[in-house]
Amino acid sequence: MKSLFATLALTTALTFPGLATARPVTLTTTLNNYGGDGAYLALYVTDASGAYVGSLWMAGGKSKYYEHLSDWYRATGGDTAQVNGITGASVGAGRTLEITLDLADALFDAGYTLHIDAAVEDMRDSPNEVAVPLTTDGAGTPVRGRRYVASFAYDM
Amino acid sequence: MNNTLTVFALAALLPIGAALADDDDCSVPRNQWQPREAAMQVAEQNGWTVRDFEIDDGCYEIEGRDSSGRKIEVKLDPATLQVIEMEYEDDDDRGGARNPAPAGTAQPPENGLFENGASPQVQVK
Repeated sequence: MKSLFATLALTTALTFPGLATARPVTLTTTLNNYGGDGAYLALYVTDASGAYVGSLWMAGGKSKYYEHLSDWYRATGGDTAQVNGITGASVGAGRTLEITLDLADALFDAGYTLHIDAAVEDMRDSPNEVAVPLTTDGAGTPVRGRRYVASFAYDM
Repeated sequence: MNNTLTVFALAALLPIGAALADDDDCSVPRNQWQPREAAMQVAEQNGWTVRDFEIDDGCYEIEGRDSSGRKIEVKLDPATLQVIEMEYEDDDDRGGARNPAPAGTAQPPENGLFENGASPQVQVK
């Protein structure tokens, strides 16, 4: 029983790194002028082994389009419960999506990666549009996406 | 899940060529497209009530109801007007493919990323 409890405590700590301390982080995603409808964006985190940890934000409210965010969709099986309460409108071309949240300290410098999948109606899907390791050194350094994201940065 | 099964079941009924297509996208050059009126005629012939007509993934997409009143979403090849995909959206008794709860109407998921379960602050500029 004791070892069961220890195992539970360990797995809980690993599963919920947020139980430790957190810091306010701003995620800034600016889209380029790709000349199309609003983009669906899935922001999510994977761990050092590449396994899906959880979602941070979903821009775009219609679940029927989520299959086009194909990496996110594959990781979650399209489970909308993953983005309950963290879903907003799609983001127009040239606009900037700014998300501020308390992100668990344990996510930094520990092999976690923040991903953005992007999709635009009638345009090419762009899974893994952005993939940036979460490190304290990398904060504030903008990176370019592959197709729709002109720049992405996390600041703290 | 029921939706997925319905799609698979319907895909099995489609002609082999359509069933073997890579995905549900269309890639027909614009000059081969039939006018949207022709697509609306297909809808009428099938007894569909059209609520929304748009272009998605290069296909004509019709949202509405079939002749028995079930909610449908149908993708048509814009050149041949054949059905590429037909999805029933009523998803048994739960009223359609469920969209996630918008921010502000539910707590963020307990995935360990949101400290104290606080919702993120979001703005689009």
